[in-house]
Amino acid sequence: MTTTPPFPFPPTYNFPPFFTPQPNTTTRHAQLEKWSSLIQSWCRHHRQYRLSLIDAVESPLFHNTALRKRLDLREARAVVDWMTKSEEEGGGGRRAEWIPDGPKTVAWIWWRRPEEWADVLVDWVEGTGQKGSVLTVYELIHGEGAMSQEFHGMDTDVMLRSLNVLVKRGRAQIFGGEGQEGVKFF
Amino acid sequence: MSRRGVGLGAFANRTQATQSYATHGANLRSTHTASLQTQLSVFQSLLHTFALEHSSTIKSNPTFRAEFARMCNTIGVDPLAASNVKGKNGRRRLGEGGSFWTQIMGGDMNDFYFEVAVRVVELCRETRSENGGLIGVEECRKRVGKGKAIGSGLEVSDDDILRAVRSLEPLGSGFSIVKVGSKQYIRSIPKELNTDQATVLEVIQVLGFVSISMLRLNLKWEKARAQTVIDDLLADGLVWLDAQGPEKEYWSPQNLLQDSG
Repeated sequence: MTTTPPFPFPPTYNFPPFFTPQPNTTTRHAQLEKWSSLIQSWCRHHRQYRLSLIDAVESPLFHNTALRKRLDLREARAVVDWMTKSEEEGGGGRRAEWIPDGPKTVAWIWWRRPEEWADVLVDWVEGTGQKGSVLTVYELIHGEGAMSQEFHGMDTDVMLRSLNVLVKRGRAQIFGGEGQEGVKFF
Repeated sequence: MSRRGVGLGAFANRTQATQSYATHGANLRSTHTASLQTQLSVFQSLLHTFALEHSSTIKSNPTFRAEFARMCNTIGVDPLAASNVKGKNGRRRLGEGGSFWTQIMGGDMNDFYFEVAVRVVELCRETRSENGGLIGVEECRKRVGKGKAIGSGLEVSDDDILRAVRSLEPLGSGFSIVKVGSKQYIRSIPKELNTDQATVLEVIQVLGFVSISMLRLNLKWEKARAQTVIDDLLADGLVWLDAQGPEKEYWSPQNLLQDSG
């Protein structure tokens, strides 16, 4: 396991007003977009699929110790809430999804949405000539064959959701019991 | 001692003198004009040769290009304004149609400025929500220089940016150049800044941010006046608020540009 290099924060992160909700709606919108993209790249960098706000507000993501500015829990929740909404609803294009256990504190951060992961998987399966073969979900996530792939070490739930997208599209079939799932690609 | 004619003959003399003076004057004038015209045409052809000879440098080196453009302007050849003016007598020397640049550089110079203009417009639109439609020429140049995709950066000077923005004017685009303090900005929303707003933006340029008390202290403004200006700037999206300090601070979003994209 290699250590992750430090996350390269964008210049916005060092802009003090970034941490205060902007009173002007247009500016606020620009601000939310910047937060959304920052959260996504942060999670992507750390290969993180779910974000617990309680932990995150203490992490560098929401707490800029150099500036002594922070996004508090309520504000962080507002940002993620905006991310969960579609663009038609004036949100951030469903780049996040609340994990429904208890109040809004943990969310999936879709730096790739399940549908997008599904495309990545299909490309990989086709590119490596594994169409028609059977793989276990464990192999997909931890197997040596997919070591270099972005989905290596993926959250199992996210993998299953992405696979289910393929099932719906008729491109894959899942079988086996929970924790033992296998998948066949067509 | 001047010789003064006596009698009626003097009248005839005088008329003659006046006439000959006039002829002489006309002669001088036409020689002058002729020589000036020769000079000008020589100069134009020299400029032409110069431009042809250095066309690659003009295209690739922004500083050189700016100097060249400045030189053209000084002698009244505006590379862009000259575009597509097909006077009946004018520009005979430059051939049919097309701008000065097109004539000498084979078309891609004009395209160059249009390309820059397109980038500027794109950038202004993209960033309008974060900077209220006011973007520093310098920041704009950096961003256009970087380009979005790899290898798409255009090496440009501030002068190129200004020229490109000016080339948009005939379109009634509402893009204009405003000067605040020592800095030039591109305003992509047709709205005037009043004196107070410009002053505050100038202070932000120098200090990085402002607060109401700073304005009251430094500019000796009444609280209401300072508050009004700040509220207006906020409403126009020209400043961002930081409420996490002891006093509310207002920052200019000009430095935000680098990250998006």
